[in-house]
Parts: sequence; C-alpha cells; structure tokens
Amino acid sequence: MKSPRFMFLSLLVLLHGASVAQLLDPHKLLEAEPTDTWPTYNGDYSGRRFSPLTQIQTSNVSGLALAWMYRARVPRPMRGITNPEIKSTPLMVKGVLYFTLPDHVFAVDARTGHELWHYEWFDQGGHLVGNRGVGMYGDWLYFMAPDGWCISLDAPTGKERWRKKVADEKMQYFTTMAPMVVGHHILIGVGGDAIDVPGYLEARDPETGELQWRWYTEPRKGDPGSETWPNQAAMEHGGGMTWLPGTYDKDLNLLYWGTGNPNPVMGSHGREGANLWTCAIVALNPDTGKLVWAFQGSPHDTHDWDNVETPVLFDATIDGKPRKLLAQAARNGYFFVLDRRNGNNILSKPFVPLNWSKGVDASGQPIPDQRKEPSVDGSYLTINWGGGTNWMPPSFSPRTGLFYVNATLGYSLVYLTDTSERPEGYGGFGQPLWSQHVLEAIDYRTGNVKWSHAYTTADGTQGGNSGPGILTTAANLLFTGDYNGNLIAFNATNGDILWHFPALHSLSNGPETYLLDGQQYLVAGAGDTLYVFCLVPRRP
Amino acid sequence: MHISTRSVLVTILVMAIANAPGQSQSHGSDENGSASRQKQEGERALRTREFLGLGRQPDVQLAGDGEKIYGPTCGFCHGTDARGAQGPDLLRSPVVLDDDHGELMGPVIQNGRPDKGMPAFSSLSEAQLRALAEFLHMQVELTANRGTYQVRNILTGNAKAGETYFKGEGKCYTCHSVTGDLAHIGSKLTPVDLQAVELYPEARSYDFGGRHPTRQVTVTLADGTKLSGSLKHLDDFYVSLEDDQGQYHSITITKGVKAVVDDKLAFHREMLAHYTDNQIHDLTAYLVTLK
Repeated sequence: MKSPRFMFLSLLVLLHGASVAQLLDPHKLLEAEPTDTWPTYNGDYSGRRFSPLTQIQTSNVSGLALAWMYRARVPRPMRGITNPEIKSTPLMVKGVLYFTLPDHVFAVDARTGHELWHYEWFDQGGHLVGNRGVGMYGDWLYFMAPDGWCISLDAPTGKERWRKKVADEKMQYFTTMAPMVVGHHILIGVGGDAIDVPGYLEARDPETGELQWRWYTEPRKGDPGSETWPNQAAMEHGGGMTWLPGTYDKDLNLLYWGTGNPNPVMGSHGREGANLWTCAIVALNPDTGKLVWAFQGSPHDTHDWDNVETPVLFDATIDGKPRKLLAQAARNGYFFVLDRRNGNNILSKPFVPLNWSKGVDASGQPIPDQRKEPSVDGSYLTINWGGGTNWMPPSFSPRTGLFYVNATLGYSLVYLTDTSERPEGYGGFGQPLWSQHVLEAIDYRTGNVKWSHAYTTADGTQGGNSGPGILTTAANLLFTGDYNGNLIAFNATNGDILWHFPALHSLSNGPETYLLDGQQYLVAGAGDTLYVFCLVPRRP
Repeated sequence: MHISTRSVLVTILVMAIANAPGQSQSHGSDENGSASRQKQEGERALRTREFLGLGRQPDVQLAGDGEKIYGPTCGFCHGTDARGAQGPDLLRSPVVLDDDHGELMGPVIQNGRPDKGMPAFSSLSEAQLRALAEFLHMQVELTANRGTYQVRNILTGNAKAGETYFKGEGKCYTCHSVTGDLAHIGSKLTPVDLQAVELYPEARSYDFGGRHPTRQVTVTLADGTKLSGSLKHLDDFYVSLEDDQGQYHSITITKGVKAVVDDKLAFHREMLAHYTDNQIHDLTAYLVTLK
C-alpha cells in the first residue's frame, strides 16, 4: 500500500521537529513561488503562475519526455458531458497530486501516476461544466460538488470528513471552483445564471466547515452601490457569481476576487445602472468579508462577460516609484492595471478589437455603448461572443515583465429574446460568426501587445470559449497549448516555439511545474488525461 | 412573456419529447424545413436542460391544464407569466423551485398566506392544484432552460436599402448572384440563420458545431515539390492532405515548407470589420425576399 511513503513522511516530520504531522502546513501557502510543491490553484497567492525553476531551459526543453500519463476514468457517464475535461490545476503536496473532474476527486502518486484513491459524489443537480480542483489545509482537502456541497476529505485516505451545503442547486446555483485556503478560512464562491439569484462569496472554518462570513455581490437597500440599481427588486435578481479562485496579498491582508455578470444576463431592461458589485474586481478583508475597494471592469454588463478572470498580483516600478499592482485580462476584452492598495486605475486598454464600449471614464472603467446591447434584430459586435478571453489561467513573468493571455479575436451577433416587462434568466443568445485564438504577450506598462502567436488551424474558424492556461518560468519558458491538441513551449521573450507534444485532446487546464526528487516536472491536463513530463524520465 | 410565445415554446417541448435525443440528424438540403428545425430545437432544449441539471421535465399537457386555472386565479397578483406583480415573483420562490409534484405548493395555495395577504384557495381540487403546480414548473423551465428560447421577429431592416447595399457598397454581387447561388435562399434558411451566414458563411448555429466543407491545400516542400489536395489537418506543426488519387500525405512543417489553403472566405473576413447594424439588418431584409 502506501506505507513506505508514509514512513518517509513521518520521518521527515520527526527530522523537522514539527509539532503536528500534516501534509500541507498552511504557512507554506504564504511562500512566494514555492518550488517543491504546488499547494493551491494558482501555485501561490499572486496568481502569476510563474515558477523560479530553471532545470528545464530554452536550450534543453526540446528534450522533454513523458514520465507518465494518468487517465481519469469515471465509472459512469457524466450527465450532459460527452468528453470530460480536467479543468482543475492539480495540487502537488509531498509527492501526491490531487485533482478533480465534476463529481470526482483523484489522488495520484506524483512519481508513478498510480492512483492512490478516487472519491465519487452522486449529485442531485447542478451544472457539470467543470471543476477547478481542491483546496488544502493540513491533511484536509476541500472539494465543491456541482450541487452546492462543500466536502472535506482526509487527504491520505480520501475519506469524507464532513459536508456542508453552501448553495441550493434547486435555485439554480452550481459550484465548480477550487476552494481557496487563506489563514484560517476556506473561501468558496458560487456560480449560476439559469434563474436570477444573487452571487456571494463565503468563508468557512477549515476544521469544522462552519460559516465565518458571507459577502453578497449585490448591496442591500441604502448600502454603497445600491444607487447603481433602479430598485430593490432589481438588486434581488442579482447575479455577480464568484466562480473562480481569487488572489491574496498577505502584507495588505487583502483578498482580490472577480465577480460575474448581473442577472437577467441579456435582458437588462429593469436593471438600469452600473449594477455594482457585479462584473468587478473587489478587494475584501479575508477575516471579516468587508469590502475595501472595487473596480468595475464591465459596468451594466449585458453580454455574459463575467469579470472573474484571475486578478494577477505583482510589484513593479512605474514612473520611478515602486508600485503594488494588480493586472487582469478581462473577458470583455480590456486589459486593466490597478494599484492593488486602493483599486485606483493605472491602465485600461483593449487587448482585442471591440466596439461594445465608447472608451473609458475618468476612473478607467469602460463606458458601454447602449446600441451594442443585445437586441431583437441582433446587435453586431466586433469581438468574439464568448469574450476576448475566459477563465483559463493567464501568467505574468517578472523576468520578461509581460502578461500572457490566450485571447480570442472574433465577430458575433447578440440577440434579445426576452422582451417581457420583467425579464428573467438568460433572456437572449449570441451568434458567433468567426473567431481566431491568439496567444498574446502584453506589456503591463503600455498595454501594448509585444508579441502574439495566432494558432494555425485548418479552417480559420475555431469555436469554444474554454481553453488552455499558461505557465511561465524563470528559464524564459512559456508553456501552454493550442486548440488542436498540441502542448507547446514558447520562448517567453519573443514567442518562438521551442517544443510541442501532440496530446489526445487540447490542453484543458493551467499547466504547472515543481521539483520532486531533484527533478523538474511539467504537468498538463488535456481532456480526461494528465500528462507528466521531465527531461530524463528516471526509470529503474 | 405573452401567451402566443408560450404556445410556441410548449410546441418545442412537445417536439422535444416526441424526438428522443441522440437521433441522427440529417444534413440534406431538404432538411431546412420547419419540421426538421423544430426537431433540432427540441433536441437542443432537452440537451440544455440535462446539461444545466434542471431536474424533472414538466408535463406539457398538465401544465396546459394548469395555465387555464392560473390565469383567472393567480395571474392578477403574481403576473400572467408568474414573474410577479402585486405579489412576488414565483420563478425564484423556494416553494416553487424546491417543489416536485405540488407537495409544497399545494398546501400554500390551499391555505393561503393570510399574514402576507394571500387568500386561501380552498375550493381547488387535488388535481387542479397538481396542474397549477405543473404550470409553474413549466414557467421555470421556459426561463431557466435557454435551449427553449425562441428568436423573435428579427426583420426590422429595409429590403430596398439591402438590395442597394448588395449591389453596391457591400460588394456581395462580386461573388454572389441572387438568381444563381443565392436563388431561393429566403426559403431555405430562417432569417436568423440567414443573418449569420450572410456575414460569414461558416458561422455555426449558436450552440452546435457545424460541418466544415473540405478545403483545398497546396504544400510546397523545401525542395520545391508541390503537393495539392483536400486538406485533412493543419496546425503549427503538421499538414495532411488527400491528393486527387486518394493518396494520403502527412507533412511536418519545418523551415522551407509552406502550406497555402485555398481560402474563399478571405473577403468575408475582410468585410467583417466594416459592417454596421443597419447594413446587416437591411441585407437580411433583402435576402429573405429571395423566395
């Protein structure tokens, strides 16, 4: 069984004199760019997905070879899903990878790819669109079932510790995110857009699962932000889902989170105004859930452009002054750079062509063009219907100073179908016309695209809103994938392709890297399979 | 939502039930008729509800019975579409959403909520309560299941202006003919599909993948040799094709290897950057007249 590994771990604990034997010391999460573990969805709290590891370099990356593969087989068909995709970024802690599919958690030996355990949940509803993975605290894992259950598992055994209901699937909430552990809090966001329900983010106790606080995306009557809604009823329609993990600055003790689109999604008559705090980046105190500041990337959104994309944190010097920055490539096509102490805007610039906005206001927030809201006869957008990007993780390399995003160029028509006095639900649809996926390297100082790579394809039209995530390393490498099943390594400075590997499915998660037994590994999830690479696979 | 729309949507659901999902779809040109379209929409509705995890599918007949009771009994307070008026919006009511077959809604309707000003409807029979509950489940379905949404009348444009655009600024005439390739296009396609393909002929319907016509490719190898045929695969690394003899070729793209795909849609893509909403709506209004 697993005894040799556990003996080794016990020995390690003894040697280090730790008082409690636990797999993941929560303090490890505070480490910037850890190399011997991948302890959280983004690898660390900054959301940069940048690794200081340099064993794999531009000069030797062409020698990357498969160490092992693991196919996540599910024992029965997944409701409404033909081909399950690993969208989770596995955690790698003490030689074990923990990752998920909707309704499933897997623990796999990181050295061999052997399955240690598999946990299956039988849902009573909820959307199986994806699952982003688990959160970890000590020996405990946290997993969101699609029907609103937060489940804590014992990491060594995969046995359930407890389950807590955090959202009602019959109200059409669904839950997909990787719970995020900050201090003594598990942070959990929710999804939903079939029925109009309010979004919220909550914190729970890692030991017991008890609720610590809940922050609602919509203000209450009289609260700041309520002036951006016509009335209480409109606010209660809600929206502003919190479905992707955020980032955290331990020095400022601020949690940064993106919120989704307001409801009704496309039928916006009845919710005139900016609709705060939907489609925004919000900074919250993780201990109280109190809002500290907000920047709204998509005021009065009518296009389903959730503003949940990772708020990436880094420090840099601007105009001779050191600044604490936050950058986001938003689904609405804008690249934003903010001062993360106060949310003040430094830069707002489209990274793809778009015509839905008339520019930005004094605070750097885009001004929507009412004529480009969904209409009965179709409004023409010079941007992809799914947006300029989506949830797939971007990356920032402090080495190159570039922000990398898998973007989509495109054109679309947006139609309104719900013309009733009281719209509810989605209320319309989008018609994609043509789109092209492009990897972009954006200079955060100017918002200019320093280099880009349009993925070559047979037909020039590529559908889909989901896509490959990005990892960068201190060795000037960028790992991602195209939409034709190729995993690709680029030179991060100039976009030259250095290596590729044809997988059975396109990259469906954010790739990750870590050191194990002195060997640097690269892990990529593509479809239902994990691919693990290193330079010289060590086989006895 | 007006009754007429609802009737259309109910039809879609009836079609959804009549046509089990997974049945093969024919792609013949004669399949653009309304029956085929309704069948596809029915399948779309079923697939969407399965994907969203919407639970039990409401019974169309029973909901229809319930509608007759709902109007005079409940509509005044809760709105004809149950989205609220004086009384609350029922689509987001936990009593409705947590209910399965009227077991939660029934007692509330029968006993009323005197504290909140809702009268008791004690004279309704069990069967009537059951039907009423089903009507409300159908209202939820028609909102939550976006696979049931119906395009409205999109024809707002000016056909005459569209014709002028077709023959002038739009440059459509340079490749297309209203008596040739576009003859009877207004009978073959619905306005919303027409509006998509007039802008980009390979635009897909909004949720299901379309077919891709074969394209011709010419690959020039490093030594100057040329291979031509129908394109099978192309990415940053490989190109493959089938030549006139049916022979398959797979070529690694290295320095000096060039793959040129015969691209008939380049002009369409160029035009995409220039359209205005009015031009699009006018053009659609014109093309639908080509019956």
